[in-house]
Amino acid sequence: MGSMNLILCAAAAAALDICALVLILASYSERRSERKAWSKISADMELADQNRSYALECDEILIGRHASADIRLPDMSVSRYHAMLNVTDGKWTITDIGSKSGIYVNGVHVQHVRLYDNDIITLGNRRLIFRKRRERN
Amino acid sequence: MKSIRRCQHIMTLFLLAFIAGIVALTVRINKQAPFYMSHSENYKLGNVYDRNGDVLFDGSGNGDYPNNHFIDVGNLIGDDKGQMENTLVAQNLDSLNNYSFNSGLVKKGGKAAIYTTLDHKANRAAYDAFMGADGCAVAYNYKTGELLVCTSLPNIDPSKGYAGLENMKSGTLMQKAMYRTVPGSTQKVSTVISAMEIMGQSALFSKKFSCSGYYINKSDGKIDCHNTWGHGEQNIQQAVENSCNPFFAQLVEDSDLPLDRVKEMYTKLGYAVSDDETEAEVGYIDIDGIQCEKASTKLTDPSDFSTQWGCIGQGKTLVSPVQLMMWQSAIANETGKMTMPHLIEHVTDVNGKTVDTAETSYSDKLFSASTASAVKQILMTNGANHYQYSIPGYNVAIKSGTAQVKDGAEENALLVGFVDDTKNPIAFCVVLENKYSTPAVAENIVTTMLNSLCS
Amino acid sequence: MSNPVSYFFSCVFVIIAHGAMLFNVFQNGNYESVNDVITLCTAVIGLDAAYFIVMPFFKQRTYAVDFMLLLILNMSNIFQSCFGGVHLDLKHFITGIAALVSCRIGCIACRNHRWIQDKKKFVWVGIGVLMIVIFLFCGSRSMWIDLGFMTIQPSEFIKPLLVLACATSISEQQNKHKVLGFNVVYENLILFGIVAAVILFQWWCRDLGSIPTFAAIYASGFLLRICYPKAKFSKKTLIIAGSCVAAAGIVAVILAPPYVKDRLFVDIWNDDVNGYQQTKALIGIAEGGWFGKGPGEGFLHNVVAYESDIVFSTICEEWGLLYALMTALMLLVIVAMPLVNPPRSYYHATMCAGVCAAFTVQMALNIFGSCNMIPFTGVTIPFISAGGSSMVASGLMIGMIAAAQSPVFKNPKPKKSRKQAKRRTS
Repeated sequence: MGSMNLILCAAAAAALDICALVLILASYSERRSERKAWSKISADMELADQNRSYALECDEILIGRHASADIRLPDMSVSRYHAMLNVTDGKWTITDIGSKSGIYVNGVHVQHVRLYDNDIITLGNRRLIFRKRRERN
Repeated sequence: MKSIRRCQHIMTLFLLAFIAGIVALTVRINKQAPFYMSHSENYKLGNVYDRNGDVLFDGSGNGDYPNNHFIDVGNLIGDDKGQMENTLVAQNLDSLNNYSFNSGLVKKGGKAAIYTTLDHKANRAAYDAFMGADGCAVAYNYKTGELLVCTSLPNIDPSKGYAGLENMKSGTLMQKAMYRTVPGSTQKVSTVISAMEIMGQSALFSKKFSCSGYYINKSDGKIDCHNTWGHGEQNIQQAVENSCNPFFAQLVEDSDLPLDRVKEMYTKLGYAVSDDETEAEVGYIDIDGIQCEKASTKLTDPSDFSTQWGCIGQGKTLVSPVQLMMWQSAIANETGKMTMPHLIEHVTDVNGKTVDTAETSYSDKLFSASTASAVKQILMTNGANHYQYSIPGYNVAIKSGTAQVKDGAEENALLVGFVDDTKNPIAFCVVLENKYSTPAVAENIVTTMLNSLCS
Repeated sequence: MSNPVSYFFSCVFVIIAHGAMLFNVFQNGNYESVNDVITLCTAVIGLDAAYFIVMPFFKQRTYAVDFMLLLILNMSNIFQSCFGGVHLDLKHFITGIAALVSCRIGCIACRNHRWIQDKKKFVWVGIGVLMIVIFLFCGSRSMWIDLGFMTIQPSEFIKPLLVLACATSISEQQNKHKVLGFNVVYENLILFGIVAAVILFQWWCRDLGSIPTFAAIYASGFLLRICYPKAKFSKKTLIIAGSCVAAAGIVAVILAPPYVKDRLFVDIWNDDVNGYQQTKALIGIAEGGWFGKGPGEGFLHNVVAYESDIVFSTICEEWGLLYALMTALMLLVIVAMPLVNPPRSYYHATMCAGVCAAFTVQMALNIFGSCNMIPFTGVTIPFISAGGSSMVASGLMIGMIAAAQSPVFKNPKPKKSRKQAKRRTS
């Protein structure tokens, strides 16, 4: 194989690599647009306590004391798996998944309820507020 | 979110495991590709050339050569068929591998080759000088270590195949210069070197022993001399020139030459010295992958019959011609260090790039430089006195030997020595087997070889 | 379409990549008349162009996975068309289009994970039906159903179904029942039963090659399930369990029947019958070197299964190891897309993990097997090996990944449930 053909071969391989790279970059840009789409689907909500806020990035969110929970509340009054947030058609709901201390939304003990903006959720000793996401500067 | 990330971790795990596998695969393919290639039909070996560019081994198998074109180098160069393992090609197949994974299969044929130091013309001349008799001849440049001639008879032309393998004479498939044989009186060189190192030059030169044609030693063994009338009283110079056995028997018995020191000295020279209790293991000299047997002997007691013969060159002593020749280099260079022989000058890879160039290397110091000079003087005198007509035109130092083999049924003629000439620094060793059954003469073989090398 | 610029650039670069390959074929290839090359070019570039025009009608938000799939499929088309001389491999071309179609089907079916989750029972039934089909039509030694004009390998279709069965959502895992004092999710038990059945069935079929694939899909599903058992599975228990499985594997190998052992330990260089394919494959790789002999110049197309089981070596020989590794890399990139653009639901994420497991294990079995690093099994590389069943099944799986990239979150339409309710009553 001559050097010319070798260069061609390498060029074709390089074109392939660049194409893959472009597609990965495209996927990155899609990730950004998907995030926008997600904020529409999820009604752009977040969960916050006094110290920090938790972004809600997927449609099923586990709240609990266990390390594998999506939102971890390290407090003995919270069960290991306490509650689950769910979103469908832009509507968030909270469900008790066998917690010991139960869930109180705006002071009412609930099993499964739809959440609205500025609802206050009490899990054991922890209080969280469900609200529109605020831009942080 | 943690749950999603957990899934991503598992995916990463699978992907990383696969990538690790791919990396291992790539490394493995790179490493083993030459092996895979050796099973391919498109696989062609490179050539082996002599110092003048003459082909010694045709790796492609396409060349057309007359019958017996390679017969003088057959069992030294060998081939890739697996019949002869201790040969240059068999031991250096990797260097001849006309393939590298990086360049893939080269369609026009690669340029991988081994360029040897051999001189095919001289080799052939030496081969022909044996006139069909068995034996071997080996010569090398004692300054650089380039092996110039290495031939043995009977031999084979591997390019014409191995038909009639079972009817071939024994020794056809082995390069005899690499294997041990009875050294005969050429062994006396080692004994002289040892004695000089142990006793000192002046003590050795002052020793005088008489020879009456035979000598009855202390254990009542009879050491015969080849001169039945005897040599009379001689010093070491005369004894070497006469190759007098009784002199050396008495020297071994002499109290100034303790056998323990002789053993030590022999071991230093490279002998595997056994005694009654221990059996020493024979080592090898490596010449570009070819294994050359080192010397061996058995020494038990200074007055023992077999021990004395061992120092004279019979008994249990066995030395390979190549090693005999290498000791000559230590004497010729007057350093006491042997020049290590090499066969490969350089190697080229598939693309013709030189990858491996030989360098001259030396052994450890075997004996002192002054001993080397003194022994050189003895051998030079011997050459001048006895060989100026039989090996005309060369300033040679030489020691002859006659080795009885097959329980005395046959006698081999040996000649070891070197040419004292800065232009043609050649050390050599010739073994002519069963010398009475052939018109060939060892001196003529040496002369032919030197003529061809020095022309 | 959210980003027309990136769509346009993706199109352009895919065409450039294929163009470079085709130019390489034109320059280095082994062909009798230029018409063959022109036909190939028309087919490949035509398919590219058609795809770019058709894609926007599907109104997705993301296209990267689809373009990646197109890139790989047309690469595969070029590879397959060049084996042993350039000519358009029409059969492979058509199965490639079938794979694109099945990818769309998979994508549309899985976009809404609630909908597909509701259909999980049908997935279980589907696996059962496929096994019965294999049992009835293939028997214990064959994996193929011969329809006369084409052959189908039903076991391939179990793979996407098993991925669907292994995918799970968090709420599904919270649906626990007490059995004998243990909190048990019924779905997990059913899944375990199904996987055990499938693996035993494959063992009985002597289709040993696909067992690791099923096992890997289940392993990913299993690992992603035991994360929620109230912290009973610590890392230590996991390691112990893992080593137990490994030990069991080793014991299984030691106690394996002779016909399995024969296939596990083959000294390929001294076995002309069992080692023939692999030795030829390795020689092909060695002869190809980094840059190959040129498209169509190889000899491996004379060896059985050159286009499926030892396709990696055939590519190595004609295109070079570099290209073959790149091909494997492309397949890795397509299954790694969920790492770049993460899914938004656990169901989709587990589905992606299952697809990733299936793809990597199949590729590993094929590539490392044909290179004699592990026992040689007749497994195909997704999309690269020829074979309609494998192409369509792999297309479905890539469809799942595409679905995870642009998901839809809606409850299943109440209309349908009403219809189902009606059916039940009637």
